[in-house]
Amino acid sequence: MKPTMLGVRRACFVAACIALGGAACWRLQAADSLVAPAPGSRAAVPASTAPAAMQTVSPASSAGADYRAVLDTYCVKCHNARLKTAGLELDQLDITHVGPHADKWEKVVQKLRARTMPPALNARPDESTYDRLAAWLEGALDTAAAASPNPGSPTLHRLNRVEYTNAIRDVLALDIDGSSLLPPDATANGFDNNGDVLSISPLLMEQYMMAAREISRLALGDPTYTPYVDTYRFSRDTWQVDRMSEDLPFGSRGGMAIHRYFSLDGEYGLKIRLARALNDRGIRGISRPERIQVRLDQELVKEFTVGRSFENEGKYDLYKPQGEAAVERRHLEESADDALTVTFPVKAGNHTVGVFFVENTLALYEGLGPPRFPVRSQANTNDDANQMQMESIQIGPVASGGTGNTDSRRQILACRPANAALEEPCAKTILSGLARRAYRRTPTDSEVATLMSFYRRAREAGDFEAGIASGLRRVLVSPQFIFRVEGDPVNVKPGVPYPLSNSELASRLSFFLWSSVPDPELLDAAERGRLRDPKGLEQQVRRMLRDGRSSELMRNFGGQWLLLRNVRYATPDPDRFPEFDDNLREALQRETELFLENVLRDDRPVTELLSANYTFMNERLARHYGIPNVYGTQYRRVTLRDDRRAGLLGMGAIQLVTSQATRTSPVLRGKWVLENILGTPPPAPPANVPPFPDGGDMTKLSVRERMEMHRKNPACASCHQMMDPLGFALENFDAVGKWRDLEEGKPIDASGQTPDGHAFNGPAELRQLVVARQEQFVAALTSKLMTYALGRGLEYYDAPAVRKIVRDAAPSQYRWSAIVLGIVRSLPFQQRMSSEATQQLAGGRLD
Amino acid sequence: MMITRKHLPRRTFLRGAGATLALPLLEGMIPAFTPIVKTAAKGIPRLGYIYSPNGMMMQNWTPTGEGATYEFSSTLSPLAPYRDRLTVLTGLNSEEANARPGEGVGDHSRGPGAFLTGVHIKKTEGKDLQAGVSADQLAARHLGGQTQLSSMQLALQSGDFAGACDFGYSCAYSDTVSWSDPYTPLPMENNPRAVFRRMFGVSDSTDPRVRAAQFDEDRSILDSVTQDVSALQKTLGARDRVKLTQYLEAVRDIELRIKVAEAQSSRGLPDVHQPPGIPATFEEHIGLMYDLLTLAFQIDLTRVFTFMIARELSLFVYPLSGVREAHHSLTHYQNDPVKIAKVSMINQYHMKMFATFLERLKNTPDGESNLLDNVMIVYGCGISDGDRHYHNNLPILLTGGGAGQIKGGRHLLYPDDKTPVANLHMTLLQKMSVPAEQLGDSTGTLQELSGI
Repeated sequence: MKPTMLGVRRACFVAACIALGGAACWRLQAADSLVAPAPGSRAAVPASTAPAAMQTVSPASSAGADYRAVLDTYCVKCHNARLKTAGLELDQLDITHVGPHADKWEKVVQKLRARTMPPALNARPDESTYDRLAAWLEGALDTAAAASPNPGSPTLHRLNRVEYTNAIRDVLALDIDGSSLLPPDATANGFDNNGDVLSISPLLMEQYMMAAREISRLALGDPTYTPYVDTYRFSRDTWQVDRMSEDLPFGSRGGMAIHRYFSLDGEYGLKIRLARALNDRGIRGISRPERIQVRLDQELVKEFTVGRSFENEGKYDLYKPQGEAAVERRHLEESADDALTVTFPVKAGNHTVGVFFVENTLALYEGLGPPRFPVRSQANTNDDANQMQMESIQIGPVASGGTGNTDSRRQILACRPANAALEEPCAKTILSGLARRAYRRTPTDSEVATLMSFYRRAREAGDFEAGIASGLRRVLVSPQFIFRVEGDPVNVKPGVPYPLSNSELASRLSFFLWSSVPDPELLDAAERGRLRDPKGLEQQVRRMLRDGRSSELMRNFGGQWLLLRNVRYATPDPDRFPEFDDNLREALQRETELFLENVLRDDRPVTELLSANYTFMNERLARHYGIPNVYGTQYRRVTLRDDRRAGLLGMGAIQLVTSQATRTSPVLRGKWVLENILGTPPPAPPANVPPFPDGGDMTKLSVRERMEMHRKNPACASCHQMMDPLGFALENFDAVGKWRDLEEGKPIDASGQTPDGHAFNGPAELRQLVVARQEQFVAALTSKLMTYALGRGLEYYDAPAVRKIVRDAAPSQYRWSAIVLGIVRSLPFQQRMSSEATQQLAGGRLD
Repeated sequence: MMITRKHLPRRTFLRGAGATLALPLLEGMIPAFTPIVKTAAKGIPRLGYIYSPNGMMMQNWTPTGEGATYEFSSTLSPLAPYRDRLTVLTGLNSEEANARPGEGVGDHSRGPGAFLTGVHIKKTEGKDLQAGVSADQLAARHLGGQTQLSSMQLALQSGDFAGACDFGYSCAYSDTVSWSDPYTPLPMENNPRAVFRRMFGVSDSTDPRVRAAQFDEDRSILDSVTQDVSALQKTLGARDRVKLTQYLEAVRDIELRIKVAEAQSSRGLPDVHQPPGIPATFEEHIGLMYDLLTLAFQIDLTRVFTFMIARELSLFVYPLSGVREAHHSLTHYQNDPVKIAKVSMINQYHMKMFATFLERLKNTPDGESNLLDNVMIVYGCGISDGDRHYHNNLPILLTGGGAGQIKGGRHLLYPDDKTPVANLHMTLLQKMSVPAEQLGDSTGTLQELSGI
């Protein structure tokens, strides 16, 4: 930004900021009604109006006049044609005909529900008027929307990397590493499945072509193609002291369970490299003998012994002549792992290779307590107290046999021709079957003919399987595979909604709930028209939620909505947080993942995300949280006994991703709560924000004291008084999610007050406040989930649908299945609308 | 120098039951092989842009003195051995990166968006991204037919990062500097394995018959999908048709590339093995990327690249530079001398890494001389002062001899505060023989760069 004088422009902006920011956004409910009316519910109509037919709003209605009066009293002062504040001229809008300006009226409703308007220091209506006006407007807007429905239209959606990987897994029974084959996807509105930004460039197209070739070889097993050597590295920030995985035996220490796909039968080699010390590059812990085992699917392949005691033999000194024993020791330190290599036969398919140290003693380490130094410091020197660690494991082909009988081959080769005459019919069966699953609908004759032409050419130059491989490559590059095509029917008129076709609906369902293609059962149900029948649709949705693939919903939606994907990028300062290691990082992530999955799988109310008194942890995490009596590396459900941690607000992963490297960030945390829990994101920061002073004397102050800077400047305070107090409530959780009562020796002050006077102290009280406004949370969650389900940002015309979903889910206490079903049944999910006439030359869409 | 087994180092082979396991390129051995480029009286120029985010600590970056007698600053000191192939440029502006009235924060998006395009990007979070075509892509379009890859885009950080971009701007703006047209930002690949694949294809066979058969099939596939697209487009709305048009253009690009590859297929390819994935440390990662770029130039796979050493707003920590804190947070230094020193340490560390690249280029024969003599590689930022987010007086380095077209060893200062950095791009495009009338806000070329 060029350095400019802050003048009139800034002052106007300040005023706008105060106006937009305004008061914080919730209150405790009035004592005489314990539950606020859900947004969108039909609240009691003012007594002066006849109770019948709330659907119609007649100009003569005195309710309309009453509410007009409310607007005139409180709002029109600023929002009028002369001042045009925020572009909203409420004096010009007719409250009895909300349809023509629904976008503006929806904004009004938002502000009313969040209580952000009128701004704090102005005259404001009472609670009851707020709710009644909002409810009345919502009713009017819903009625107007019902009269001229607008389902919107997502842009043509290209499969993103996750969806592509899952599609390959489901169509070909092959697990690939999508991140090594395809580039990452752009995001919009917080999600990477937004059709608008999923573009296709020559780079990506090339990668699709190359991925298709690689996948066809891996899936069918091509003996002429040498698979790569895979290197599995250990993170230097991981303690290799415990049993690392459920797939490794008890009595193992460290190591790794590698799940690898072997595309061919053959001999494979494995090589282990041990970790070296940084100072003299000698293998750490070499002076104590260790046993290392290599197991293939739990069967022992080989056991190595490495290292030995060097009692009474001096250490090797690089600068002096040495005796033989010292020289031998040095030689071992440099190359003991040269011997750690083994070759063994493997049959094609998926296998688990376990490599680990055998635990030297089963005695518990009593009294030593957890390590107090960072794991990386172990790497610095190589003294006798060091424990041997692994650095990397390589697996690669040594000699390949033939193609084996892998899951992929079984899945693809639906038939095997017994003689030459049977080859063509069999190829047709196989390729049509692949196309049906990959294109998510029955392929047309011409599409099958295309695939057969590729089959024939390759068959001629090679053999039957070469032909199939070529057809498969053609499928994987087709636009029908890469794009989720939703075509307009013949002669559709712009502005008139129409229902999706059966297969398009099936695709939307499976990409929403599984991030993948429909399975055969769903495709069949769709083709038989079962998705048109409400019972049939519900049956499929419930089946899909029960299916293990629905964990993708929580992983991809939850991972992005809650910023969980950023856990692996967090870099807490190792000086301040020496105890933060990758064992903890993984545990933090797993905790939230398991929690989200559990809430979905048990079909709990979505509000339990905030209030749950249980979570999932292992010993490492339990130690971090200060919870006793949890032992072992496996994750198990734990009931929380105090109310400091409950639900998402108490989870270390969330606290970690809303912090800086060296300290907490109340601003980031407050913003996170506003955006994700309350659905009222703060406005943009203004231009020319001066940088935040954070060095020098500042470090002596607590984080809270430093944030006082925000309050002193009224331009900052207007927005920051919304965000900062929410973050202060969570100050007891440090930047890596650990509870603390002191900061720099001073007690933490976790108290706050909303601008309209509701006080809280600490996370438990903040949580209570938030839980009391559960409808607001449900609406916020529904909007986010709907954005994810549709693959487009929500617009004003989607608001009635969101309200309906929340309303309909209330009787079941807002269970996940109710929210999901609500979205699936909603207008924007079931229908589309074209915005301009589509040129129809032939045929319309393919169903 | 032919490609032979004996150039592969001893460590590449693992002894085990008499067979071999190949170790990946990461272990750092690139065999020598025939430079593909026919030797000419002058070499063939190559163009590259290395982009560094979050600005530079200008007080320790800017050299003292001007012209041929300037003195290296502390940050630039690692580049001293390459003085005669280095031009320091100060005083160039990227005006289009400044905020327009009402736009608010967004310099970490506007900065990279304008750096190679010279245009003001559109403030949007989703649907309607808009910048301009970038200089490297203008070169790629024109030169694309001569090499197998028209250009390469590399990065060290993945774009896969939820949420943390400038408010109101799509993350796509801070993740890239290359735009093939005003609506298409190009993804920057951060996985060396994927880059390798792009350079050599999935086949690890250098057998010309196998490659020919693959090209054959690829061409039929592309032809066939083009027909599928035409059928599909009839059923789609206008907005969706635009998406499919992107797809068609991508298809055409590859068809062209295959043509070129087939023409060059009589030449053998080096026997290298692909890297396993993303290395664990920054040093290894950037070293590997620099190696791959050297290789790409060496065998004339491409003549144009862009490389972002981190995305804008990057919170990368560089412990080997001696600094613990995250990059972006430090660059808001507010005159704190401790932060100033730390940012300078990071800047100098990056220069150290860059020097290893220059050394590699210098030691790689190319035509009659070496790659460093023939390349033109810009190392710069779209932001100068990271604290105030200024977009004028950008820190720009131009390295390489440009095949005899660039006179190095000077600090060129543009004092009038009016010279757009786009003029530099125009000059380099001219030296690459790429016809271009205008790039964004360019007003001409920088005559001083030649002068031999």
